[in-house]
This record gives sequence, C-alpha cells and structure tokens, in this order.
Amino acid sequence: MGANVIEVRGLCKSFRIPTVRRETIREHLFGLLRPRGYRRLQVLDDISFDVRRGETVGIMGRNGSGKSTLLKLLSGIYQPERGTVRAHAPITPVLELGIGWSPELNAIDNIMLLGIAMGLSRREAWAAVDEILAFAELEGFAGLPLKHYSSGMASRLAYSVAFKAVCEVLIIDEVFAVGDIGFRRRCEERYRELAAQGHTVVLVSHDPRLIQAFCNRALLLDAGKIALEGTGPEVVQAYLKLLALERPAG
Amino acid sequence: MRIRTTEDIARVDLLGLLWTLVRTDFKVRYHGTWMGFLWALFKPLAMFLVLMTVFSFIFAQERNYAFNLLLGLFLFDFFSESTRVGVTSLAVKGYLLGKTRFPRWLLVVTSPSNALMTLSVVCLTIVIALSVTGRSPSLAALGLFGLCLLAMIVITIGFSLGSSVLFLRYRDLNQIWDVIVQAGFFVAPVVYPLGIIPEKYHFYLYIWPPTAVIQFSRQLLVEHHVPTLKAFSMLAGVTATIFLSGLLLYRHYAPSAAENL
Repeated sequence: MGANVIEVRGLCKSFRIPTVRRETIREHLFGLLRPRGYRRLQVLDDISFDVRRGETVGIMGRNGSGKSTLLKLLSGIYQPERGTVRAHAPITPVLELGIGWSPELNAIDNIMLLGIAMGLSRREAWAAVDEILAFAELEGFAGLPLKHYSSGMASRLAYSVAFKAVCEVLIIDEVFAVGDIGFRRRCEERYRELAAQGHTVVLVSHDPRLIQAFCNRALLLDAGKIALEGTGPEVVQAYLKLLALERPAG
Repeated sequence: MRIRTTEDIARVDLLGLLWTLVRTDFKVRYHGTWMGFLWALFKPLAMFLVLMTVFSFIFAQERNYAFNLLLGLFLFDFFSESTRVGVTSLAVKGYLLGKTRFPRWLLVVTSPSNALMTLSVVCLTIVIALSVTGRSPSLAALGLFGLCLLAMIVITIGFSLGSSVLFLRYRDLNQIWDVIVQAGFFVAPVVYPLGIIPEKYHFYLYIWPPTAVIQFSRQLLVEHHVPTLKAFSMLAGVTATIFLSGLLLYRHYAPSAAENL
C-alpha cells in the first residue's frame, strides 16, 4: 500500500435539532415570543483514521451510527464541526444515488448533468452515454423522462454514471444493494476492475460478505465513535456481535 | 481505463457544466409547453397589449409611450423572472448538491439564463423596430444600454446568491419575494412615466433597482438622452452593494447548504 490519500483527524460532527421545527419566516416571526430549545445530536465524535493509496476500507455500523455522515464529510459535501479531513486525491462519492434526478429530463440529459457535475468533461460524458445506458441496461429508455422511471431503474442509472465518472478515490454507500442480481454482479465486477487499476475505495455496507471479500481493512462505527479498526473478518464479527446484543432476548 | 488524477480533476469542465445547466434549464422550462419558447415572449406581450389599451388613453400626450412601456415591461419581467427562479435555484437542484462536490455557485449563476434569452430577443427586436422607425440609437447609447443590462444581471445574480442559501432555511422566502415583486411592479416606472411623480420622491423610487435600469434604458434607447455620470455611479453603487451582500451571504451559508436540503 502507498501513502495516505485521506487523513482524518479528530473529526466531530453534530446536528442541532430544535424541539420545534420552524422552516419559514412566518413561523420564526410567530415564534419570537415562544423560544424553542435545542438538542445536540452528536453524530461523529473524535474520529481519526487514514486511508492509504490503493486499499479498500470498509465501514460497518448500525443504522444511525454515523456512516453516511462520515462519507459526506470525506466527500466534502458536509463541513466538519471540529477536526480535519485531508484528501490528497480527487474523490468520487457514490452516495444516495437512488434518489433525486431532474424528473422532467430524459436519461441522456440527466447523465450529462450528473456526469459533468461528478467531474467528467462534456466530451467525456457525451462519449460515455451509450456505455452508461448499457451498463444500467436502460438503452431502450434513453429518451424517457426520469419521472417515468422506477426507483430501481433510476438507481441503476445513477450508479452507472458514478462508476464511469470515477476518480482516484471512490466513496461508496451501499452500492451493491441496488438492482437485481445481474446488476449487482456487474457492479461487483466493475468494482474489482477499479480495485485492480489501483483505485482507493471507502465502502460502507451492512453486508458481511462484501466487507470480508473486498476490504483490506475495516472500521466499526458505534454511536459516532470508532469501536474497532481491524481486518474485514474481525470487524464483521464485532458488528454481528453488536447486532446480537441489541436484539431482544427470547 | 486510466485513473483520473488530481491534475485531471483540476480541469473541471466549468464551461461544459455551465452549458449543460443552461441547456437543461431551457429544456425543462419549455419542453412540452404549448408554443415552447414563444410562450415566454407571449406572456409579457399580452400584458403589453392590455396595459397599452388601458393606459395609452391616460398617457396620450406621451410621445414614446408604446416603446417605453414595452421596454419597461420586458426589463421588469426579466428582473421578476430571474429573481424568482434565483431564490429557489439551489433547492430545486438539491439532488445534485447532496450527491457530489462541484462549484455550487454555477447553479445560481445559470438560473437567470432563460429570462436572459427572452430579454435578448426582445432588446434586439426593440432596437430593430427603433431603427426601422428612423429613431436608431447611437452606438454609444447601445453600449451604455448594454452596461445597464449588465448591472441588472449582476443585481439579479447577487440577489440570487444571497436568497438561494436563505431559502434553504426559510422556505416561504419565495412567496414573500413574489409579493414584493408584485408590489415592485408599481414602484418601478413600468406603466407610468416617472415624470408624473413629484421629483422629491424620485430618490425613493430609485432605491428599487429596476427603476434605475428601466429609466436609464428608456433615456438611452428611446429618448436619446444620456443619464449623468452621477446617475450611472449610483447605479454602479447599488449593483455592487447588492452583489457583495449576496456574495457574503452565499459564502457564509453555502458550505452548509447540503445539510439544509
């Protein structure tokens, strides 16, 4: 393995949750005389770790343990509250791709929009349209506005764009949970190709098989802290134990 | 396939993204609508016909009322349309904000593109119409009119930068702005000549940005009169103040934009 491509030091992130949600100026004005309280939800608390060039790091943890927030911080989508994230290589985040497209635009326009936003040039994105549609098995639906796509079709398209736009570091959130078995197999194959080419990958998954099969190293997040850093099988064992503990007896 | 490195990514295709945003915004706005792009021209034109029918009797003594009304309507329509779209420009593209990191300001800067296309077509038509009727503006006047338009564009972008991040926190900002713009239609001298208002109130009318742009444009294109340097300096000052205020708000709130979607 090479030098560090991502260095995370003392990373903290919390969200301020108001007791009463006020989203409009009207609500704020009418609420002036009724002050509201806040609860601070500490999502990540003093996280430090490194990712070295060419390795695949898995992240496991129960729902709400801070995995997705951590990925968004690594990708630069969220800002750290305290601590630092240093990335020494460009990152392609593959996050929440199942949701959100421009519903009025067809697949080709959406591919162009997302592809260029993810770092492809216009020329590269245009040249890749057919390949992306073929990977998602949506060649027959290229001209259909996304509002007519099923959620599975939209997710497949999004992952196909992301796999094409991939930079040196790939940050993946539950990628292999999308689509049918055939699509998942193609995703895994594509992932293996990327790993073989030397891409660095940070992979969040609840699937023990994926973490054991793909990851050189893994982290177990629990209540916003790193509960364990170890090999894939070690972290999977700890994760399963954690799940067993939270299951009600009997 | 070659791994795309930091050097590759440093050359993010800003122009490509800008063009794609403009193209897709145009497509979303007009695709499938009856008459497409013509609809954007038809709406203010219909308004022009109605207002012209009613007010040309009241302002019968105004020699250039029709040209002034047309110019005022389309300039105000640009301001109204582009600021309305600008307020929600980040929110409506939230699907991109939460997925990847890219220059988000592009979403705001490209938001007035549709309104700008309409305005360009109309301005060209007005200049041609003036030439045909033997009242062709001078090149200098056209250049100064271009500066007025630039000021209007910078004002709308500045406003959009600030309001787009505030909208993510205050979700009724667009409705409040709608009301302000509707009221502002009567503050700006669109349907009436500024001369009917006592001069001591002009300063207050000029605080509303469209007033200066509409008035100066009329003077340059229709009345062949060049506003004073002081007047242009005031417009430049208002433009810079609005743009910088918007930019400061944007810089403060944009980093947490994805957390407020």
